[in-house]
Amino acid sequence: MIQMFHVSKSYEGGVPALADITLKIGKGEFLFITGPSGAGKSTLLKIMFGSEPPTQGQLILDGRNYIKIPQPELPALRRRIGFVFQDFKLLPNKSVFDNVALSLKVMGIPPSDVKRRVARMLTYVKLQHRANFKPLQLSGGEQQRVAIARAMVKDPAIILADEPTGNLDPELSVQIIELFKEVNSRGTTVVIATHDKALIEKYARRTIALEGGRLVNA
Amino acid sequence: MRKSGSADFVYIISDALSSLKESKGTTALTSLTLGFSLAIFSLFVFVISNLNGVMEGWGEKTQIVVYVKDNVSSAEAMKDSIMKVAGVRGAEFVSKEKALSELKGALKGYEGILEGVDANPLPASFEIKVLEENNSPEGIAKVVGELKARDWAEDVQYSREWVEKLASFIKFMKIAAIGVGVFLGAATLFIMSNTIRLAVYARRSEIEIMKLVGASDMYVRAPFVIEGAVQGLFGGILAFAILAAGRAAIIGQVPSYLAFALEMPFPVPVFLLALIMAGVVMGVAGSLISMNRFLDV
Repeated sequence: MIQMFHVSKSYEGGVPALADITLKIGKGEFLFITGPSGAGKSTLLKIMFGSEPPTQGQLILDGRNYIKIPQPELPALRRRIGFVFQDFKLLPNKSVFDNVALSLKVMGIPPSDVKRRVARMLTYVKLQHRANFKPLQLSGGEQQRVAIARAMVKDPAIILADEPTGNLDPELSVQIIELFKEVNSRGTTVVIATHDKALIEKYARRTIALEGGRLVNA
Repeated sequence: MRKSGSADFVYIISDALSSLKESKGTTALTSLTLGFSLAIFSLFVFVISNLNGVMEGWGEKTQIVVYVKDNVSSAEAMKDSIMKVAGVRGAEFVSKEKALSELKGALKGYEGILEGVDANPLPASFEIKVLEENNSPEGIAKVVGELKARDWAEDVQYSREWVEKLASFIKFMKIAAIGVGVFLGAATLFIMSNTIRLAVYARRSEIEIMKLVGASDMYVRAPFVIEGAVQGLFGGILAFAILAAGRAAIIGQVPSYLAFALEMPFPVPVFLLALIMAGVVMGVAGSLISMNRFLDV
């Protein structure tokens, strides 16, 4: 599903964020990326998502080889990937329903289908009673679940999640990982960046570790 | 996978409408800025058009008078001869009798001056207008030279100083109008583009999020374009209302020699349509240009 060959990324001024990453993630796989803050976890996810081009190396997504994903192809690629952002990236002036619906609307899904699928997804993440609330009226955990619902509602081939349990208590963290496990059981590839060691130990899935932008186990 | 273009259209329109509703304050502020900027620029165009009309009217006035010798030639023959001179647009014959009656009119109350004058001492004359391309000090001098050569011409008069002053005044006004117009146009565009840029900047995270969930550039742009057009429409109407209200407020109080500045240079519907179109074009262009740099996510 995702293959990376000798991928490196450095920012202006030559600061290396990732160095020589070679990695293969199979279809339907559930993978944790771990490592301390600044290890390059977010950068790795952003490269997979096409929002950061690698400085070097190649990326194969769904059988297509990208050195840099061309701008016109990005929307189509992003509709196949659900990204859960560390800072949620919810629209503060839109309701929970509208935030989740956005994923489907940009795909041109008819309004009646959008209504049905969003309602089902909100029930799935146990937020049906919050549909008309604005994000800022919700707790951190609830906002996190809205972001997850938005990523999952389009039935993506891949879900990339950047610290999805970052600010949550252990009980809520488990609930959220259970959501990912469930969607993974239906065939979606799930990649989660986290520094929560307890969570990784609890779920015993394939884990890769980054340190200073390098892969230390794969 | 893309599903439906008609659904896109529905979403774009409903997004634009809900966003206009949510950002009433910004929409009103942008429309207001557009309206006032357009009104200032239009006021300038308005005054310049009227001034141009007045100056052209001055140029239309008789520029040359040829006094003719008595009983030398018929009026028709002389007129034909004048019309053959290159640069002449028209010639009007003023007979001796008409000249005398005009003089009597001018001397109203002092008719006694003419008592004892038996024969009509005034010469007949032609009042001559020149073509626009000859309406310069050089062009008029050329026509005068040719007229003086006619053997029936007693004298040819024209106000050289007036012609030269008018020509240089019109030239100055044209240069000044271009200068002020460019300056005002640039200032108007600057104010409007900054207002729109600020409004778009406030929504940059919305643009970013839409791009991140897979919206195409067209999908992201469309509501902004619609909003820009609506703001431009309101701005255009507002500019018209400001100008119409301003004109109505001062129309009776302007001295008659300045009244020309308040004349409508264009038919009202054309003026309104032009203002609305200018507002819409600026609103749309401003939105498109301002949001472009936020699309690269």
